[in-house]
Amino acid sequence: MAQASSCWGCFQSLIDIHMNLATVLPALEIKFWVCVVDYKLADLEGYPDKSIAVGLFEGVVRTEEDLHLLKTMRAKCQTLISFGSCSCFGGIPGLANFSDIEECLDVKFRENKTVSGGEVPSENVPAILPVIKPNHDYVDFDIFLPGCPPTSKLILTAVTALLKGEPIELEPHTVCHYCDREKKDTPVEKILRPFDGNADPDRCLLEQGYICVGSATWGLCEGLCVNMGSTCRGCYGPPPPIMQDQGANAMSMLGTYAPLPPEEIKEQVKDPLGLFNRFTYATSHLGSIRIKREEAKKK
Amino acid sequence: MTTEPTETTNENEEWEPRIVAYCCNWCSYAGADLAGTSRIQYPTNARILRVNCTGRLSPEFILAALDMGADGVLVSGCHPGDCHYTSGNLKARARWAMMETAIEQAGVDPRRVRLQWASASEAQLFADGVREITEQVKELGPIRSEWK
Repeated sequence: MAQASSCWGCFQSLIDIHMNLATVLPALEIKFWVCVVDYKLADLEGYPDKSIAVGLFEGVVRTEEDLHLLKTMRAKCQTLISFGSCSCFGGIPGLANFSDIEECLDVKFRENKTVSGGEVPSENVPAILPVIKPNHDYVDFDIFLPGCPPTSKLILTAVTALLKGEPIELEPHTVCHYCDREKKDTPVEKILRPFDGNADPDRCLLEQGYICVGSATWGLCEGLCVNMGSTCRGCYGPPPPIMQDQGANAMSMLGTYAPLPPEEIKEQVKDPLGLFNRFTYATSHLGSIRIKREEAKKK
Repeated sequence: MTTEPTETTNENEEWEPRIVAYCCNWCSYAGADLAGTSRIQYPTNARILRVNCTGRLSPEFILAALDMGADGVLVSGCHPGDCHYTSGNLKARARWAMMETAIEQAGVDPRRVRLQWASASEAQLFADGVREITEQVKELGPIRSEWK
């Protein structure tokens, strides 16, 4: 199990299967998992190729070390799982592509508000890659398991199937399939921001005007947020085929529900790209155009 | 939807913009037809694709076209209120508002895309629209030049 640039949330969710760990762990021999078992990168590099049955890769490739780790994992693992939305679609770190790398470095290091005379570190840390490309552009994955993070239940289903040697069966439904709220198929009268008014707890949030991208999102979460009263942000990415453009689909969906005059929409939807492609910018069409441009700059 | 880039043209040849034009079946496609039968001259850069209604267009079609190397995209439909399917073009217009901002956020010049309304009798309006986007895109240069 390997982690690139990410928050460890997906592995935390794996650990959150709690008592089930007691049944899962004895069936595993962990060969590499930094922070959990004491193997180093050199150990992973030393294993024979394809000697590890299953590898989980969390996080996005932001540094040269991440890239090396990803390629090493691919070489050593028979089945490589893209684990979590960062690994599948670029996720939140993928939003860094909104700015070019120099702007990112300015904010983070050179003109950081809490540091004076900051500079970009160059010693003892791996170099930062100019642009975030989705992991599957570097290597092929066998399985994609999205989510931010994937729920413990989903992970348990996947791990159990893998241990039995069976294919992982995942339902293709969107979040709406699992949402208990009532739908009346009425158009949106006014698009609301999350802080506007109080939402009716029993009605579809989108029909009330709150932007919920559940209908463009894979429902592997089984409607966690929407049933708790929050709008869906799209963290599971698009439903299968999972490399379709979730943001474009979400825009299409909102346009259908809210055929309002353009000025009104522009007033209320300030950041469509960040809102609809929050987790999938790197794999979207617009993201792909941006990546091509940033790569061209470096040449 | 796959986005394998299409064949690149020889760079030595003089560059002509390639523009994808989505026209709705009931108004603009008929308008384009009328432009042809009325012998109205307009640039040949636009490749017209007929769709039943502009409401059929997901922004994905437009963004995928740009991603695959189209230099510009034109969407032409019935005037708001005149849609054959009552409200298809209103949906297209709402999507367009979001897509236009998104395109700008991604660093693509929004002048590469154009939404226009042209009815079946407005052949001249359609032809003018094609001319305008062709000129705009010619000014901006090939989209691929930003990628190489």
